Amino acid sequence: MARMKFLCDAERCIECNGCVTACKSEHEVPWGVNRRRVVTINDGVIGAEKSISVACMHCSDAPCMAVCPVDCFYKTEQGVVLHDKDLCIGCGYCFYACPFGAPQFPQAGAFSMRGKMDKCTFCAGGPEKDNSVEERTRYGRNRLAEGKLPACAEMCSTKALLAGDADVLSDIYRERVTRRGKGADMWGWATAYGPAPGGPKPAAPTAPAAGGTKS
Amino acid sequence: MRRVSVLGRGAAVTLSALFALLLAAALPAIAQAPAADPAMKDLSMEQAQRGVNQPGNNAPVWREVRGGDKEAYASIPGREVNVLVQTEGQEWRARRNGFWSIVAGWSLVGLVIILAIAHMLLGTTHLREPETGRKIQRFTNFERWVHWSAAISFVVLATTGLIMLFGKNILLPIIGYTLFSWLAELGKILHNFLGPLFVVTIAVMIVTFVRDNIPKGYDFKWIFSLGGLIGGGHPPSGKFNGGEKIWFWGGALVMGLTVGVSGLVLDFPNFDQTRSTMQLANIVHLIATTLFMLGTMGHIYLGTLGVAGAYDGMRTGVVDETWAKEHHPYWYEDVKSGKVTAEVIDTHAATRQPASGPAD
Repeated sequence: MARMKFLCDAERCIECNGCVTACKSEHEVPWGVNRRRVVTINDGVIGAEKSISVACMHCSDAPCMAVCPVDCFYKTEQGVVLHDKDLCIGCGYCFYACPFGAPQFPQAGAFSMRGKMDKCTFCAGGPEKDNSVEERTRYGRNRLAEGKLPACAEMCSTKALLAGDADVLSDIYRERVTRRGKGADMWGWATAYGPAPGGPKPAAPTAPAAGGTKS
Repeated sequence: MRRVSVLGRGAAVTLSALFALLLAAALPAIAQAPAADPAMKDLSMEQAQRGVNQPGNNAPVWREVRGGDKEAYASIPGREVNVLVQTEGQEWRARRNGFWSIVAGWSLVGLVIILAIAHMLLGTTHLREPETGRKIQRFTNFERWVHWSAAISFVVLATTGLIMLFGKNILLPIIGYTLFSWLAELGKILHNFLGPLFVVTIAVMIVTFVRDNIPKGYDFKWIFSLGGLIGGGHPPSGKFNGGEKIWFWGGALVMGLTVGVSGLVLDFPNFDQTRSTMQLANIVHLIATTLFMLGTMGHIYLGTLGVAGAYDGMRTGVVDETWAKEHHPYWYEDVKSGKVTAEVIDTHAATRQPASGPAD
């Protein structure tokens, strides 16, 4: 079965925040919770400004899963990291551990009253029955069950943000890199998915691996 | 590498030649100096330059992301949303799930075993002489209230804390997801609301007991003989012995302060502290609470099974004169001489001779 991944192309992202809006609207995410965000580095510096859209990367060895004291996370056959809000106790440990700042809490109240954690589901809902009302209200729409890909990537105007089968994403990106002749920054892949198993590493004569080579 | 790419190949060769000359003449430390002085310190400027020299090479950007010393920009509101990647989380995970939880878990198990063996070998310390039936007030009601508040909240905090750290590995496989999640949620709420109360109780307790815990010369004798464990005999002590004083300063004050501050940092995320602050606080909390729990286990053991009569002091507030004389002779003398105000109650007064008047 396909391994689902996100890929954001720093050469294409124009920081329009269309992905952020698409996500909020698709899942009717409450105020204060942003499952996806766009971060701009070197904002305003000509030639150095790069933007990246970031959300849960659905890591292979997910830190949130490892530190959750009640083990509320689970991984689907497609590699999507989901969680069960019935089990979540709102301790915030996943939020400490996540490198991407993906876990969100509706509150940050005194006495650590945070509410149930919420994060990007790769538009794959939660443990409830696919496309049920309960699933929709608690986790958002289950687009994968409808045969669709995540709304953020679908909405992306420059196709900087790609979501889907890792092999397909790698092929698309490899072609882009070949056409550009340079640059192979698959941002966050090393962090989220570990070192590539000798596989889809696009030809990169000059650039070091994106996001560092350490896992 | 960075320097070479910026300056270009020709300049690099010239520099290398100069560098070699310098190396021959100067100390290695001084020779390092030119290398440590890059033409462009600012990574964003370096990226701008890199974009011209090698289009598509974003290495300086990613280095900057990793370094995290410069603020990036994100248009959505929120704390740390402009941080693209925080790498400290991995370290926190490794320490919390790995080394420190292993050390914490096994040291607690280890102390239980050590105490069990010690108890089997040494047994309970009983009084050498029979009890007189005359009771001396050791703790006032207020002192006992403070101590019991701290004791009960500590036990609840320790239990719920252990559930948070080890429940996933120990309880969850036995009681299942739903029940364990319910238990952990209850535990989390208890922990987070009792925690601040515990900090207050500890503070009151420090104020209450500090006067009798000021170290005296004879305490060192007590400590060096481990309360008479080494060399035989029972080194005398005041109201509190050397061990109790160590527990007061090291446990209540130092551990209480460390555990309290680190716990409050974690308990009040509404003050916008960053994730790295909370990761650090969590590890400090883990280490300090482990030490605190180890100390408490020793304290509870000595106060109950270890020394006969000690628990009565904390339960009823009074101890027998014999107990006072054998365990805390200086305090006993002070009470007898009236230096310290403490009520003496003769429980046998009704059945025996007319009661001798209270010591004060």
